[in-house]
Amino acid sequence: MNAVRAMTRSVAIPLFALGRSGGWSTRGSILMLNVLGVAGFLLLWQVATAGGFLSPLFLPSPGQVLSEAAQVAATGELWRSIVDSSRRVFFGFALAALFAVPLGVLMGLWAPARALVGPFVSLLRPLPSITWIPLTMLWLGIGEAQKIAIVFMGTWVYILVYTVESTKRVDPLLIKAARNLGASDLSVMREVILPGALPGILAGLKVSLAISWSCVLSAEMVAAQSGLGALIWNAKDWSNLALVLVGMVCISLTVLVADLAAGVIERLLQPWERHRHV
Amino acid sequence: MQAILAAEHVTKIYAVHAKETTAVRDVSLDIREGEFVCLLGTSGCGKSTMLNLFAGFTQPTNGRVLLRGQPITKIEPRCGMVFQSYALFPWKTVRQNVEFGPKMKGLPAARQRELADRYIAMVKLSGFENHYPAELSGGMQQRVTLARSLAADPEVLLMDEPFAALDAMTRQVMQEELLAIQEASGKTVVFITHNIDEAILLSHRIVVMAANPGRVTAVIENPLDRPRDLAAQATPAYASLKSRIWDLVVGDVRGAIAGRAGRA
Repeated sequence: MNAVRAMTRSVAIPLFALGRSGGWSTRGSILMLNVLGVAGFLLLWQVATAGGFLSPLFLPSPGQVLSEAAQVAATGELWRSIVDSSRRVFFGFALAALFAVPLGVLMGLWAPARALVGPFVSLLRPLPSITWIPLTMLWLGIGEAQKIAIVFMGTWVYILVYTVESTKRVDPLLIKAARNLGASDLSVMREVILPGALPGILAGLKVSLAISWSCVLSAEMVAAQSGLGALIWNAKDWSNLALVLVGMVCISLTVLVADLAAGVIERLLQPWERHRHV
Repeated sequence: MQAILAAEHVTKIYAVHAKETTAVRDVSLDIREGEFVCLLGTSGCGKSTMLNLFAGFTQPTNGRVLLRGQPITKIEPRCGMVFQSYALFPWKTVRQNVEFGPKMKGLPAARQRELADRYIAMVKLSGFENHYPAELSGGMQQRVTLARSLAADPEVLLMDEPFAALDAMTRQVMQEELLAIQEASGKTVVFITHNIDEAILLSHRIVVMAANPGRVTAVIENPLDRPRDLAAQATPAYASLKSRIWDLVVGDVRGAIAGRAGRA
């Protein structure tokens, strides 16, 4: 769970850095402090490692990390790893969404469904996705299906919980208004409940997307021939700490890009929220 | 002439936390076609309950509520509600909100658009068709709600203190516009208010209600000529009507204040 929390935090900080929460300062000076902080940290790191205060066996210098990155990028290994991990996240996450969103809407609208599935949600939610690794390896081997299954098991419950809650919270007055204007059950569903629940469902998907990355990485660390998790784990076995750091930075950047893309999709799907973004 | 909307000995009792509250007791009321009726009373007199019964949002404990002689047993689209809190769909533009009723009727898209254009123009919101509700002021949102209800073409328009949340000047303009729209369309309107001036300005008839339990204490024909405007307020007929209504409600208002003080 700590990995999960760290993952969501790594997504939240750059959003903060982009200057959403102003008040005490302008956008420009926030950006300046952002850059200053990172540059200062890199400088400190360089001085500590190149100055001999820290052994390269303990922590490689920024320069070593950079040249390692250039090397694995040139061989194509880095890109293959990113693509493999991304593909697993995509399929596992998409399956989880396809399964959990419709089920969640049903549970939000219909108490018996909620009562029926509720206990499973309560039992599965506390289970970190890595605890599914032994069973999924027995059932599915160590191929793609197993990685996808880990992502699925790690995310569907979150998507479900968000979907149920946001479906339940659709303003009953709007449902009343729609019926008063002549809407049938089906129309109430399509015109009111789904768009009303959409912001909450999308928020849940965004959180789950970040979680799905931590799932795939832990699965790849345990047993995989490819992917960013395997890259890091193998690099550790070869005592190539520079490559470990390259992998970690790549994970950060990839999750960040995925999260920004999710944010763009979120805004495109909800044009009525546009006044909040200007 | 048969009433378009009627309440026959209606009693509504709500049970909240095992405690029963009589919202209205034995209310009988006939509303004629094309009539503008104001339900006037202090808070707790059951005027909103009456409107919810007419809309079919709730059912009477005793008695019957009838639309053209037929009991209202479920949410009734022929009695269109204009909500005090607007209840606009935030994810729909002004045009999509107004088109909602025609769309639910399955009218062709061109006809939906035509109706939306007409009613958006009627409430003077042309040019705002593609705005979302959150981008409009309260007064504009209230006008969208009115246009949305009108476009659905209900037989009766139920209005629940629609202008209560507006500032005094906007309210005055909205009242005159509503009066003009009602004159032009001939719609039957049941309008809730606790504002005597508003009731006199708008209504053909005023139904005065009192609280504890909610009941009708008087039904007053409004003798003022139509169309009315604010100038009507300067006439002696207006003054005498207003003081007559005030005499009817003052006891109830004082009672409500004393009751609140007693509870506090």
